[in-house]
This record gives sequence, structure tokens and C-alpha cells, in this order.
Amino acid sequence: MGAGTALTHVTPPVTTPFGSARVVEGARVGAIDVGGPEQPPEGVSFLDGIQRYAVEGRFGLVPVVRGYAAAAALRREGASLKVAEERSEEFVVVARERLSGAELEAVEAAGLPVVDCEAPERSHPIVDVQLAAREVERRREALEAEVAAACLAARPQGWLVLDGGLGGPAPEGAPPVLGLVKSHETQYLEGGELEAALTLPEGHRTSVFQPSTGARPAVFSWYLRLWPWDQHDLLHGLVRVERPPNESCIADATAVSRWLLAERAPLSAPDGRWDRLIYPIQQVETYLRAQAGGWQ
Amino acid sequence: MIRLGDGGTIGRVVATEALPAGPHQFHFWTATDTAIGIGAIVRVDAENGRAVYAVVVDGRAYSDLATPLHEVVAAEGDPTGERAPTRRTEIRLWTAAVLRHEPEEPVQPVPLADVRLATEEDVEVALRMDGYLRGEQPTGIPVGVYRAGGLTAPVALDADFLLGPESAHCNISGVSGLATKTSAVEFLLSSVFQKLPAHKGSVAAVCFNVKGPDLCFLDRPAELSDADRELYQVLGLEPKPFESVNYFAPFKADGVNLNTLRSHQDLVADVQPLVWGLREVLDYHEVLLNRDDIDAKADAFLDFLADRVVEKEFRDDWGGSHRVKSFADLDRLFRAIFDGLEAAGRSDSWRTHHIATIRKVRNRLINISTRCKGLVTDDGSVSDLPFGNFEDRSVYVLDVSGMDQLGQDLVFTRVVTKLREHLERGDLGVDQVVVFVDELNKYAPADGPDTYVRKMLLDISERGRYLGLVLFAAQQFRSQVHRRVVGNAGTTVFGRMDMDELATPGYQVLSPATKIKLATLPKGELMLRHPHFTQPVFVRFPRPAVLAGPAGVKQYPPAADVPFEDAVVRQLTALDRRIAPSVIRDAIAGRREEDVRRALLATKRSRPEDVAAFFNASLGPAVRRQAAGRGPETTTPLRSVEDPYAT
Repeated sequence: MGAGTALTHVTPPVTTPFGSARVVEGARVGAIDVGGPEQPPEGVSFLDGIQRYAVEGRFGLVPVVRGYAAAAALRREGASLKVAEERSEEFVVVARERLSGAELEAVEAAGLPVVDCEAPERSHPIVDVQLAAREVERRREALEAEVAAACLAARPQGWLVLDGGLGGPAPEGAPPVLGLVKSHETQYLEGGELEAALTLPEGHRTSVFQPSTGARPAVFSWYLRLWPWDQHDLLHGLVRVERPPNESCIADATAVSRWLLAERAPLSAPDGRWDRLIYPIQQVETYLRAQAGGWQ
Repeated sequence: MIRLGDGGTIGRVVATEALPAGPHQFHFWTATDTAIGIGAIVRVDAENGRAVYAVVVDGRAYSDLATPLHEVVAAEGDPTGERAPTRRTEIRLWTAAVLRHEPEEPVQPVPLADVRLATEEDVEVALRMDGYLRGEQPTGIPVGVYRAGGLTAPVALDADFLLGPESAHCNISGVSGLATKTSAVEFLLSSVFQKLPAHKGSVAAVCFNVKGPDLCFLDRPAELSDADRELYQVLGLEPKPFESVNYFAPFKADGVNLNTLRSHQDLVADVQPLVWGLREVLDYHEVLLNRDDIDAKADAFLDFLADRVVEKEFRDDWGGSHRVKSFADLDRLFRAIFDGLEAAGRSDSWRTHHIATIRKVRNRLINISTRCKGLVTDDGSVSDLPFGNFEDRSVYVLDVSGMDQLGQDLVFTRVVTKLREHLERGDLGVDQVVVFVDELNKYAPADGPDTYVRKMLLDISERGRYLGLVLFAAQQFRSQVHRRVVGNAGTTVFGRMDMDELATPGYQVLSPATKIKLATLPKGELMLRHPHFTQPVFVRFPRPAVLAGPAGVKQYPPAADVPFEDAVVRQLTALDRRIAPSVIRDAIAGRREEDVRRALLATKRSRPEDVAAFFNASLGPAVRRQAAGRGPETTTPLRSVEDPYAT
């Protein structure tokens, strides 16, 4: 006792705590030793995005939010990361229907694209801003999708690693793309399978399964333990890999896991997420933050 | 890879609150594969037209690794494991010290702009050479080339600041054998001789060869590499040895073999003996006698001798008449004084000088002729530098390497003092003289007694630039030389330095990287400080076009010492190879060595057309000596033939 981190507040409620899963590799989800790290293939690209927003003012109670979204992919050549694709946008988010013509003209006079956002019936100083921020997030996701598409178009055979889940519709065929999920808010497994997943030893993965949360596009997925979790909490060093749903991803799940294990070095510390955040993704973030200039 | 030498952008200025850009120093980053390094000159252009020139003085590289422990964790404690697939982001962060702002005013922090490598024109402006390389009366003296990556640009010193009158003197520091101090001086002298403009007048050099054969072959060409020849071409200099070199060396104790490593038969004819008599020594008695045991009384007696006795008709108190012209004459006078005092029953004083003082001075002076035998003669003959007839672009080498410290001090002091006197009167023969002395720490040490030599060096350092008396000096450890001597050197040169020396306070202004570079400088590279250069600059200079000492000794092995007769034959036949040795042997057979020595000296000094005739004439007619009772010879033996001073 005494090794845990002291907290003061109740963590925000998990929006979607549970999903379901269908095992696609074997009969049930179990732990598989991947056999240690292996050098990743040449020319892997890593993709991430950032978003920033700020309430610049209000017309009455209506917030005027300035937003910035950017996405970039860095391709590893040799051992160096080079920018492969990047997109960025700066814009203003307002609930158009709540503004008068003159107010809208004033917003447009700022010279930035104006993005409309949802306008609930009743004004709420926090919720209104959250709705605007959601638009910023959508723009970021859209830019990430654009960058991903551009990467895959430019190098169809080159691996693309995304930070987070595969959000958009699955691309045609079996593109070499994977999403690396660090947060585990939604649990797709249950019972003994869940326990098997969350107590994976270091260097092990689970069987491949197909998670389901309703609206999300279909993906194949498996858990991978990058770092040993003993003396830490269950989620330490645990990532979930998402791949487009096709048979080939089951066949190469172990090989992919092995080179993902190799991505543990260099360590992304001192970032607090170092146990799940691989260094190249962190570098994309660093690059985007540097490019964001005053938005940092 | 960035191509260098074309002034292309190689980096960007960065500034943070903790690492700001100031008017005198700034930081910039480059790609990791940049070829620039410590000593490279860069240029930063602001949008408003300002340009800043700077020299790189420090460099650092680091990655985003927060602690080495993270590497251990990532490698799971095994440094031999597979390398990480991604290389950490690295930075090459350079620190540059500003050389010049253009325009000079207002002085502002360096703009946060692109950094370019300097072009040849930029180097000229950065080092303010544009002020003295161009115009109606340029005064540039090439000293080496600046090199960074692909750029090779000539660097020149300002003659007004190297030889005076604005500032003067050049001091060179560096470890023995690696710093190429002597080579640097030889090259710089050659550059001065070739490039000193006419409006700066005439110049000669006096070099004291204090150790080994370093300066013994300045008139002999060296084998140069193509790279060296290319450097000469870039600098606009001819790779040639000195055209006019005059060598002087004292005799060895035998009084006939020259005390120099330039004694090979092919070269010895060029070496003039350096021989002084009593007057030459007495005028500089402070050098020899300024030890702790010499006091004001001794000084007074020495002044009395110099003013009232030497080369004057002097009567002692006992009826004796003396004309003291040599140490032997002087000793005779001392004898007369001691004998006279003893005969008179007085033993305390003579002409207000205490007998103990007289004895002490006598001992010191007579001792000089013993310790400096070969330089100082008993017989009054003199062979000296041609004060008053110095020639433009001539080098006068005094090889004192075989003498002890006392003798070296005497030669150094007297020669430099004479140079100063002649320059003050404007009758030396040239307008400026460069005096080169190695091992300056021996002559002007930072610590130790305040010797006459040190006082004289201080005087030259502080006043020499007004007279045209310029000191080029070298030493291993600058920190061991008197601060005012090195401090007055307008131009300071550093070769490979010792780390301990670099740790002394005098080098605090240098960055750690510059110190490391100094400690690892390859041969032929130097760091320069010059009044126009606001920061030290690294240059490469070509090997001097003269034969280096060790190579010279190999090519011209010194002749072994030979008996008196053979030595005379060797020196005279070196002057004129047509003379048959037998002729000389016959001429000197049965002659007194002093007479032969005097004749040889006169012949070497005069360098006559007909060496044999001149030597014979100098020798004078032979006086045949005859032993008493050996038959009916009519010649009366001369009483004076025997050495009257031999006691």
C-alpha cells in the first residue's frame, strides 16, 4: 500500500463505458506471446492532430469561438522523421442563428472562415462553448482524415500509424493502416476475456476481436501490453490496436505487435503518457504544437 | 549536405528569455549535418538592411531526452540491444560572438533571422580588413587563410598595427613542437618583407636563435607541398626563402670554431663571428651585474671605470699609466691598484672606492671573459652587427643557442639597446626593425627579479612602436611572461596550447569550445587576435619556404670542431675555395693564436676579393722567435712578443 497516486476529484463520467465484441481470432480472447520486439518496416508514417480554441468574445450570451485545427503525418526515413503531409485551419465558430445580420458581418470582418455550430434552445455559458469546441474537434478529425488519405494515396504500401482509433469509414482493400488507442474508456470485453486483456503480461497481445459501439465503423482490434504493469495500475503500458476489418490483419497481428513493441524506444518521457504514447506520435504532436505558433 | 563557401543559409537565430540574442552574442541552430564548426564566420541579415557578422565560438548538441535514465528504461538496461527505430530529435545549437555590425550604430541585439555562411567579401568586412586592404595606401600583411567548409579566404593584418605606429608587436604562444611558433614567425616575417608597402619605409629583422638550429637556414629553400603552394597563391605571396640573411655567432671557448650549428663547410662562410671587447661589455654591465650582490657602490665604481678609465689615458696613484682597451688591460690595472695599496700599507680604499668593492667588481668583470669566452675577447678585437648599415628586407640572425644564459642576456640586451639607440637617432639604416626572440618567459618572466633585460623588454613593449622597434616574441606559456610585455603586443597568436595553461585566468574570455579547439589545433593552424578583429579568428598558414632547423641540420650536418689550424683553414677556404689549405697553414705556422684570430676576424668581417692576401696583410709580417743560445742569429728577441698579460 502507498504506491498509488493520490487524487482529489472524481474523474469525469465515462460517456460510453461498455461496448461489445466478437472474437475473430480463435474461439475466445486470450493472451498471446508475440515473441519480443522486431524492427519496424521501412517508411512508416505517423499521424496525429491537434486542436485549440478560445472564446474571443460574446454577442450578448452567444460565444464567438476562434478555433485552430491541424493534422500532420511524419514519415520515418532511416531513423529520422520527416514531414509527409500536413493541414491546418484557423476559423471562427458561432451559432449563426443566434446572431443578427450585423453581428454576423462583424464576425466575418475578422477575415477567418466562419463555421456554424449547434444552437440549443436555451443559452448556457458552458454548454454553448462546448458545442463550439465540438465543431473544432470535427474540423481536426476532418483534417486528420485528409492527411491520412493523402498519405495512403502517396504511399499505398507504406504503413500509417494513427494516434487514436480509426474514426472514418474503412478505406478500400487492406491498407496498411492502424490506430493506436491509449485510452480505455470503453470496454468491449467482459468477464474472463476482459481480465485476460487487462492483465496481459508485457510483450503479449490478445486475440483479435471486432469491437462494436453502434455508430462507429467496423474495425478489428487487439490489446497489446507494451510495458509490464506490475507495481502500476492495470492500464499501464496497455494499448489497443485498431485495423481495418479484413482477414490479413489477423494474420499479421503478431508481426505488427512485435514492431509496435520496438516503438517503445525511444521513450516519450517525460510525457505522462509515456507508457502508451510512442515516440513518433509524440513527435507529430510536438511538430504540430510548434507549427501552431501563438496557439500553443 | 549544405554547400559551403557560397554564403547560403545554414541556420536561424534563436532567442529565448533564458538564452537571448544580444548585441555581442547570439545563438543559432543548424541542421545536424552542417559542416560549420568553431571559428566559422557567419552573417545575419535583418529585414531593415542591417547585417551582423559573427564568429562561432561554441556549439552544443542535445536531444529531447529529459534524463539519461529514460534511455536505460527504453533499452531495458541493455545498451547492446537493437537501436531504437526512431532517432530522437536533435539540435545543433551554436553560439556566435559578434565581430561587426553594419552599420555600426545603433548597436542593437542581433535580429532573429536567417544565418548565412560568410563569403570571402563577408570575411573581409567582418574582420574590418576592408579598412586597410583597400584605398590609396593599403597596409595589409597576409597572415593566413580563414577556412570554413569550402571557403578559403585570405586574412591580413594591418601593418600600422603590427609594426607601428598605431600599435605594434606580435606575441606567439603554444606548446613546443606542435604550435609551430617558429614557423609562424618565419612565415609572417616573409610576408612582412614581401608585402610591406613602400610608404611604410624599410624594414629589417634581427632574430635571436636561442635554441637548436631553428633559425639557421633561413636562406635555404624548403620542399613545399602543393597545398602549401596553393595557400601562398591565395595569399598573394611568393614561396621563397629570405634573400638576404646575415648570420652571426660567437666563437666557442677555443676562440676559432664558431659556436653555431650552421658550421657546415658550404654555409659557414656566411656566418660572421660575434666578438665583443671590454667597451661593448662595460656599457651593459647592468646585465651582468644586476644580481643581488651588486650594490650602489659597485655601480659607482663601474661608472667610474666606464667614464674615466676605459679607452682613456689613466694614471694610477703609483706612477703607472694605463690605457685600458681590453679585459687584459683592465686586469693589469686592477693588479696595479692592489699592488699599490699593498705597497703603501693601505688596504681599505682607493679613490673613495672600498677595496672590497673593487675586488668584487674585478671578479665579476674578469669572470665575464671566462663565462662568455668566445663572445668576449681579451685582446680588444671586435666583430659586431652592422649598426648604421642595416639593409632593407635583410634578416640578421644571432645564433646564441650555444651560449649560457648570461651570454644570451648580454647579447640580447646590447643588440636591442643599440638598435633602439640607432632608431632614436634615425641612423640604423632601416626605418623599422623586427626583433624576434623565442623563450620570452626567460627574458621577461612574470615573476622573479626585475632584471635589466626585463626592464628593457618592457621599454620596447611600451615605447617601441614609436621608434620602429618591433618585438616578435614567442613562448610556451603566456601566463609566465610579464603582463605588460604580452599586454602591449597588438597582435597575439596562439598555436596548440596546453590545457593547464588554458585554465589560467588569462584565457577566461575564451569559450570552452574555443579552448578545446586551441588545445587540439593541428600544426599550421593558429588563433589570432588583432586590434581590428573584435574576436579571435582561426587561420591556417603555409609552411614557411625556408629550410626547417632539423631538416637543415640533416642536409647540412654541422662540421665537427677541429684544431686551431684546421679551423682557420676551414673558415678561410669557405670564404674562397681557390685558396690551397697549405698556403694558409704556412702563413699561420709559428704565429700567435691571438694574431691569427684577429686576422681571421678582420678577413671575415671585410670579405675581401683576395682573401689570402687580405689575411696575410692582417696577420702582418712574421716575427721569428729565437731561443737564446741557439747560434749566431742576429735578430734580437722581442720582449713584447710574450703575452704581457699572462700572469
